[in-house]
Amino acid sequence: MRRRQLLALSGLAALAAACGDEGSPNDVQLQFMYWGSTFEQKAVEKMLKSFEDSHAGAKVKALFTPDEYDVKLNTLVASGNVPDVGYVPMAMSYRLAEQGKLVNLFPYLTKYPQLAGYLSDAYLWYGRDQLHGVATANEIELLWYSKSAIKDAGIAPPPAEAGKAWTWDQLVSNAYRLTIDQNGKHPDESGFDPKQVRQFGISSSITYAAAWYGFLRSNGADFADEGGTRCLLDAPEAIEVFQNLQDLIYKHRVAPGPGQLAATGDDVPGTNILLKTKRVAMVVDGHWSLLDMNESKVDYGIGVLPKYDKPFTTSQVAGASAVFAGSKHVEKAVELFAFHLDPRYVDLYKLGLWMPQERKYYEDQAAIDSWTKNDSHPPEFRTAVVDYARDHGVPDLRVRLKNLQAINSDVLTPALQEIETGKRPAAEVLKEAAPKITSRMQGWHHKQKV
Amino acid sequence: MALNGQRRLERRWGWLMAVPAILGFVIFTAGPMVASLVLSLTDWQIGGTPAFVGAGNYTELADDELFWKSLSATTYYTLGAVPVALIVAFAVAMLLNQKVRGLPVWRTIFYLPTLVPAIANVVLWIWIFNPDFGLLNSLLRQGGLPAGMWIYDENMAVPSLIVMSTWGFGNTMVIFLAGLQGVPQHLYEAVSVDGGGPWHRFRHVTVPMMTPTIFYNLVVGVIGTFQVFNQAYVMTEGGPNNATLFYVYYLFRKAFRESEMGYASALAWVLFMIIVLVTFLLFRNARRWVYYEMAGAR
Amino acid sequence: MRGRVLLYLALIAGAVPTLVPFVWLVRSALMQDSQMFIAPPEWIPDPFQWSNFTQALTAQPFGRYFLNTVVIAVISVLGTVLTCSIAAFSFSRLRWRGRNVVFAVLLSGVMLPYAVTLIPTFVMWQELGALNTIAPLTVPSWFAGAGGGVLNVFLLRQFFLTIPFELDEAAYIDGASPWRVFWMVVMPLSKPALIVVTIFTFIGTWNDFLGPLLYLNDEEKYTLSIGLASFQSIYITQWGYLMAASAAVIAPIIALFFFLQRYFIEGVTLTGIKN
Repeated sequence: MRRRQLLALSGLAALAAACGDEGSPNDVQLQFMYWGSTFEQKAVEKMLKSFEDSHAGAKVKALFTPDEYDVKLNTLVASGNVPDVGYVPMAMSYRLAEQGKLVNLFPYLTKYPQLAGYLSDAYLWYGRDQLHGVATANEIELLWYSKSAIKDAGIAPPPAEAGKAWTWDQLVSNAYRLTIDQNGKHPDESGFDPKQVRQFGISSSITYAAAWYGFLRSNGADFADEGGTRCLLDAPEAIEVFQNLQDLIYKHRVAPGPGQLAATGDDVPGTNILLKTKRVAMVVDGHWSLLDMNESKVDYGIGVLPKYDKPFTTSQVAGASAVFAGSKHVEKAVELFAFHLDPRYVDLYKLGLWMPQERKYYEDQAAIDSWTKNDSHPPEFRTAVVDYARDHGVPDLRVRLKNLQAINSDVLTPALQEIETGKRPAAEVLKEAAPKITSRMQGWHHKQKV
Repeated sequence: MALNGQRRLERRWGWLMAVPAILGFVIFTAGPMVASLVLSLTDWQIGGTPAFVGAGNYTELADDELFWKSLSATTYYTLGAVPVALIVAFAVAMLLNQKVRGLPVWRTIFYLPTLVPAIANVVLWIWIFNPDFGLLNSLLRQGGLPAGMWIYDENMAVPSLIVMSTWGFGNTMVIFLAGLQGVPQHLYEAVSVDGGGPWHRFRHVTVPMMTPTIFYNLVVGVIGTFQVFNQAYVMTEGGPNNATLFYVYYLFRKAFRESEMGYASALAWVLFMIIVLVTFLLFRNARRWVYYEMAGAR
Repeated sequence: MRGRVLLYLALIAGAVPTLVPFVWLVRSALMQDSQMFIAPPEWIPDPFQWSNFTQALTAQPFGRYFLNTVVIAVISVLGTVLTCSIAAFSFSRLRWRGRNVVFAVLLSGVMLPYAVTLIPTFVMWQELGALNTIAPLTVPSWFAGAGGGVLNVFLLRQFFLTIPFELDEAAYIDGASPWRVFWMVVMPLSKPALIVVTIFTFIGTWNDFLGPLLYLNDEEKYTLSIGLASFQSIYITQWGYLMAASAAVIAPIIALFFFLQRYFIEGVTLTGIKN
């Protein structure tokens, strides 16, 4: 048995399973693996149901995995039990693709024109003409704010158009107006008590890459050089960005320190609560917060991020979706793949959790209206999100840089935490970290036009 | 003659009654253990084909900064958390073994922190430790005391987690409570007759009679704490600056985030050897201080 | 008298911090998300959000999950208590060659981090054709809690070792078999320890998340802990529902503990025996 076990471990069992005979075409059974809250679960179940309704003979079994997704998926991969279609954590997807565990979707682009119509940054390439999937949803970083906090401070709200974005200095001076201690004093007034801050002006994560990557690009810096083999975080422009973020906390005292609880969306308590309770007046967070904002009836507004030079925001901040190799019904699986990303069948776009990947939903007026013209999307959404994402999005590092998982956990995150805790200036930390990151770099992922 | 018969019975039944446990080990535990040992000698990314690298993973470990970092963070945590948990749990068990009104309610109250689901507990503690809005710092500031950064400070992070872990004393406490029921009453009476007070009763009856349970909790505490995982996984993600990079969390990250199962297996077997060694030393040392009714049980 | 006062003071002093997590859970369960995180904290929900409970408990088929969980927990408890005590009896009160070595080997099973045995174990259950059944979650408990449950053997062994050996000797002289000694002498004297094993095993299975998540694929077989996890996702967490459902899920185990703790009564085991 041990021998068989090891065989199975080596993935040979998966191959054996893949060589099994095809079932009859009338009886197509697919498995769709996904994560999400009960909220997303309902929307996905509905989507699967309409897929079954519109594809005669197709049955889809959902494999709902609310947590520990990578543990379960790794186990299924190792034991040759992968689903047909599903979400794949970005850190795993490229590896699985290179191991041949995911179907190369490139040949299907011509057969299914819908697949060819996504935003170019959404495609996940792992080599020339090798496409392993698409980011499940488009998500970008935004500047969320509490309308009443802005009103009380008597300042103009953060602009909702990229062309009018605040400069960094404007952001800082407005954050001063928005930061109030228990006695109503601002950080630039004498007697300000930094230990008793009632309302912070801004919160912008230092450790969550998507939150700062747009700033980095806006300042003319980047994470790595063209070849993707040398880390450029020690360049003066990059250092400036991180020093500015650190200064928000320790120099200007307009931002809460580490543990600011609003970095990535899965932290406690979430941007919606911070704004609703006005612990923080402005928060840099992803578009997905929209759902929570509406659910908890926050009096929020959406602005674009401040800029250095050209305005940029990080886009494609989501996991991957893919078709798994070994599916007995690859054609149907590809159809399901296209279906599960289609705003016509998935409510999550209208409800404000997801943004579409198909280009037409950013360009064609009727298509834009189909997902944004409803109560969940405020009036400024068109310029602050739709136009902003289309014209000013730079794809998240996770969809572009090889070996990012190891870089992140072994070097980058600890270094950023040092900046966040304010022990050392950004320059010192980054100059030390950059060569260590360089030594782990393996280049950018392949990129090509569809 | 009768004694020989009993010995024979014991030998025969001894094996027989151990069979379910032995079978369980052979069927369910040994195979996966051996598999992971073999994998630790390979370079295996989940989904790929394992390549034999001999002791490669182990030599790589020696040069892995984070391996050493995680080992020291874990040792630090273990040295703090295990004694604290033992002392608190023992004290509470003594308290809950008194004849007081509403004993079932008191006992349930003291056991509650163990029952609160991990996620609710973690959310609570993140909020307690939050430097800006947290409960702990609000209390300290109200008392005019300096506030701290708690889990967000490199030096404070592990002690903060040790404090948090103290709330999980419930299971250890329950074992002590059960153990206290086995302390023969007549021994207490004997001490009283000799004029000994509560301290004497505690020192000369309770403690010696409880040594088997203390020993159990010590061993299990050490085994469990060396494998501490949850707090790093859901609260600190090993930060700040790797201060709480606990060993098994690091291993888990290698295994399932980076899918480097070969390397993770090597990490696991190194920890296994450490725990085996520590446990062995504890058992050997136990002969000196653990009291069993049954001679030859050691 | 002063001693009694001190005793109650100590109880109260200890109860305040131990109650905080639970009270926090319950008040959060009754709050709107926005009130839950206000600083300084508020302890009284305003308004009382009773709908958290109804919404949360209908968001997932918790009735079915409850039954599934009970079935797994009961099978596991029975198996663990029975087979672990048999093994512990052998390792503590029967003398046979190799006993301590075998015991040490068994114990070593809990010293290897599960993360690296998880996939081989999964593959093994796959070979046995038991995926998507509760067998991987229950069968090991009938083999002296193979896996983590083996600590129960150790625990019971420690307790069995505190029982005077003269009792066994006397029974053997009367012609009893080891099984009879185990069943008639040792087991009745070990109620507190058996209760501990019951409580631990029940709670352990009740809260187990990874096991059911890995081995079960059909949602109708899912357990309570999977239902709870679904209130949290990468993008959104429904705090009110999560807290309400958590409170509801732990209610049965609080009740269980409340009823079982009464077996921890001083002197049940040995009073009168030595006299």
